[in-house]
Amino acid sequence: MELDEMQALWEKMSEKMEQQKQLTDTIIMDMTQQKYTQKFSKISTYETIGAVICFISAILLLLNFEKLDTWYLAACGIFTMGYLFTLPIIVLRSLKTIRNLNISTNSYKETIVGFAKAKKQLLLIQKLGIYINFILFLAIIPVTSKLMGGKDIFVTGGSLWKYGFIAVVAIAMIFVSRWGYGCYKNITNSAETILKEIED
Amino acid sequence: MQDKATFVAIVKENEGLLYKVTRVYTDTQEDQKDLYQEIVYQLWKSFDSFKGNSKISTWMYRIALNTAIAYLNKSKKKVPQVHLEFELSHPIDENDGTTEKQLGILYAMIKQLNVIEKGLILLLLEGKSYDEIATITGFSSSNVGTRLSRIKKKLKENVKKI
Repeated sequence: MELDEMQALWEKMSEKMEQQKQLTDTIIMDMTQQKYTQKFSKISTYETIGAVICFISAILLLLNFEKLDTWYLAACGIFTMGYLFTLPIIVLRSLKTIRNLNISTNSYKETIVGFAKAKKQLLLIQKLGIYINFILFLAIIPVTSKLMGGKDIFVTGGSLWKYGFIAVVAIAMIFVSRWGYGCYKNITNSAETILKEIED
Repeated sequence: MQDKATFVAIVKENEGLLYKVTRVYTDTQEDQKDLYQEIVYQLWKSFDSFKGNSKISTWMYRIALNTAIAYLNKSKKKVPQVHLEFELSHPIDENDGTTEKQLGILYAMIKQLNVIEKGLILLLLEGKSYDEIATITGFSSSNVGTRLSRIKKKLKENVKKI
């Protein structure tokens, strides 16, 4: 199909559409109602719930911080608190950047660039999160063991089933992280391709 | 009240534009209807700020294309949806099989293009000049020309694959 043929076909379709008006006043006004668009505001709901859980956990940890009575337990506690406070804020800020892109005033080019950049930034954070999660996992075990059971796992050691559980979770985390990393890499690559094409 | 009436009239007048944009950027009729509603909502939201400095169609294309980009970036997450009961118009008579088939090929060819190219070819098919395309998309007129000649080549190659 040549471009001329495409244009002729497009024109034919457009003419037909002119004769087939389907929308009524009621349908159009229904489409403008907030109830419909609420679905988009739900997009960050999961992230917000996650952030609230993180903040509550961090506050509980802060309130019980004096129970972490050795330097290594305190170090694990500080790392865990830092993670629980910081990462959700960074993720929510990235989502806010995406939501704040101005559809009504930006040009098509600006919108594409805005989304591609915001997506790249969000994916970078999530990719970093994969690695930090491993450290968090290792740091949170002695902290919870001390706060919930009063035991210093570095001194008392753990039971066989505890080590088994840690090994299983660690292996599962490796697989999930590898899968997640692959997905992130593909999406980041496509965002980079679009940015490169815009600059051409 | 007057605003509402004017808005409804504008949307009705440009029903075809909405159909064409939404069909290019979506793969299923459900997604198409979803994007259609979102575009109408975004148009309504920015209707007050539309000062009439540009043509109505330029403003509509800009919002519609930008909303489509936003939709492509958001729709990957499954969230509860509210659907309105309305049917999208069927552009060609159902008994006109040849045209319908040709249209299917045409849309399939466009859908193989990337997101930048889709917007540009859509505006070209809509009969927009390079200057108008430049105003809507933010590319310079000469850049629009260069990109469109690349897209034409790409379309020729794509047609062989279909």
